Amino acid sequence: MNHDDVEILFAEDSMDDAALAIRALTKSGFTNKIHHVKDGVEALDFIYCTGAYVARNGLQYPKLILLDLKMPKVTGMEVLEKIKSDPKLKSIPVVILTSSKEDPDIKKCYALGANSYIVKPVDSDKFFLAIKEIGMYWLILSE
Amino acid sequence: MKPKLNSHIKILLVDDLPENLFALELILSNKNYLCVKANSGNEALKILLHEQDFAIILMDVQMPEMDGFETVELIREIEILKHVPIIFLTASMDNSVHIFKGYQAGAVDYMIKPLNPELLKAKVGFFVELHLKTLELLVQNGEKEKRAEELTIAITELKYAQDDIRKLNDELEQKVAERTAQLEYVNKELGSFSYSVSHDLRAPIRAINGYTSILMEDYAEKFDSDGTKVLNSIIHNSKKMGLLIDDLLAFSKLGRKQVTVSEINMTAQVNLIREELLFDEGENIPEFNVNALPRAKGDPSLIKQVWINLISNAIKYSKYKPKTTIEIGAYEKDNLVVYYVKDEGAGFDMQYYDKLFGVFQRLHSQEEFEGTGIGLAIVEKIVNRHSGSVWAESKLNEGSCFYFSLPNFNL
Repeated sequence: MNHDDVEILFAEDSMDDAALAIRALTKSGFTNKIHHVKDGVEALDFIYCTGAYVARNGLQYPKLILLDLKMPKVTGMEVLEKIKSDPKLKSIPVVILTSSKEDPDIKKCYALGANSYIVKPVDSDKFFLAIKEIGMYWLILSE
Repeated sequence: MKPKLNSHIKILLVDDLPENLFALELILSNKNYLCVKANSGNEALKILLHEQDFAIILMDVQMPEMDGFETVELIREIEILKHVPIIFLTASMDNSVHIFKGYQAGAVDYMIKPLNPELLKAKVGFFVELHLKTLELLVQNGEKEKRAEELTIAITELKYAQDDIRKLNDELEQKVAERTAQLEYVNKELGSFSYSVSHDLRAPIRAINGYTSILMEDYAEKFDSDGTKVLNSIIHNSKKMGLLIDDLLAFSKLGRKQVTVSEINMTAQVNLIREELLFDEGENIPEFNVNALPRAKGDPSLIKQVWINLISNAIKYSKYKPKTTIEIGAYEKDNLVVYYVKDEGAGFDMQYYDKLFGVFQRLHSQEEFEGTGIGLAIVEKIVNRHSGSVWAESKLNEGSCFYFSLPNFNL
């Protein structure tokens, strides 16, 4: 599997949320460029070319990282902290996904350098729009 | 020595000559007097070592071995006898040295022998009188001392009581601190509970909604109109569930939110809300009649929520009336300002009034008026947190008036 042309790294432990988000992204024309990982450990493995991603080209970075906050093992916030404290990675835009705007971690994420956040709405149309807009915005900006 | 009234008055007679003692006793024979005789200074001192309760001492000056002056000097050294009246009895009148010596020793009076019995009786009588008065004073002083003692006891008891109160207060403070800690803990738990409710309950609803949308979008041709209707219902209901969770969370968050009080320009706030109102196309836009609104003291964002909920309710329940007015106003009552929002809308039956402000309680069907039933519960909670109250009056099909009171800012 070639991971070198991945444009969007998407970390999300909920398979349902992941499926819906990926659908929204692919429908918006991001075909084949999204890579989904199931937790923070996998996300870091991908970024640093460790574990299952040893073979990946370490010089190729995704253009956008979508991070769900609540993930097992290593949380989205921990991944964010690592990315934003690494001089080689910190320019990659990171968008946080959260289930609730009440999430107290949103503030902390911004403090850590998150570029935006999406509250996953129950309304799938809204989610589709949000993820499409944010995806487009940050991808275009980073080009 | 305890002073005793109504007992014999004791008189000490000191003279070296028995016949003189006898004569004195004779002169002073009185049923109230008790004469104690001593035939030398030494004997007088001996007696005084055991008995000090003499009203008066009659002291012969010229005595062998120890004369009257010397004796008195020694007597005066006994603390309790310092003020006992002493009458010196002397045969020689010519001697001013004697008088001087006598007074210096603390004597009170002087009598020249041969004694005039009447004068002696009068003098003794005078001193006895004095003695009795002194005794009486002593008794009174004793009572005063007793009172003082009682007072001291009372004060001590009071102090104990105060100590008890202090102890109770300390215990109470301790308990309050413990309770507060418990409450803070519960509050924190509730916070994380609310968060996980919002997180975990929304996730499956999101999936239901999302997958149903996929069916609608990608498999539309496989459903007939009934099937599409069902799919629409699923989507509609899942959205509503999301709203309910959000509202419930917002409501539970209110109870924990810190109220930051500042001055609120209510007129400006209401006007701003009116400007922000969004109406759907074809919706009936009611006319607003906004009266003067006194300033209030409260949390501006919370009070704004009160206005928003009441005004949007008024609009919502007026939507079937083609031409309708919403009146907003205020009046002062006692030390409160009462604000109100009055509509001419659907109204409600006052017999269900007790349900009006309940969480998720609704008095109208979803078909008639949509809503989650949390708006008025939020209003009541906010106003209560501002030490105010909320109430309403209504007539079915004629309209409602919702009131909320806040402490008067101008008082």
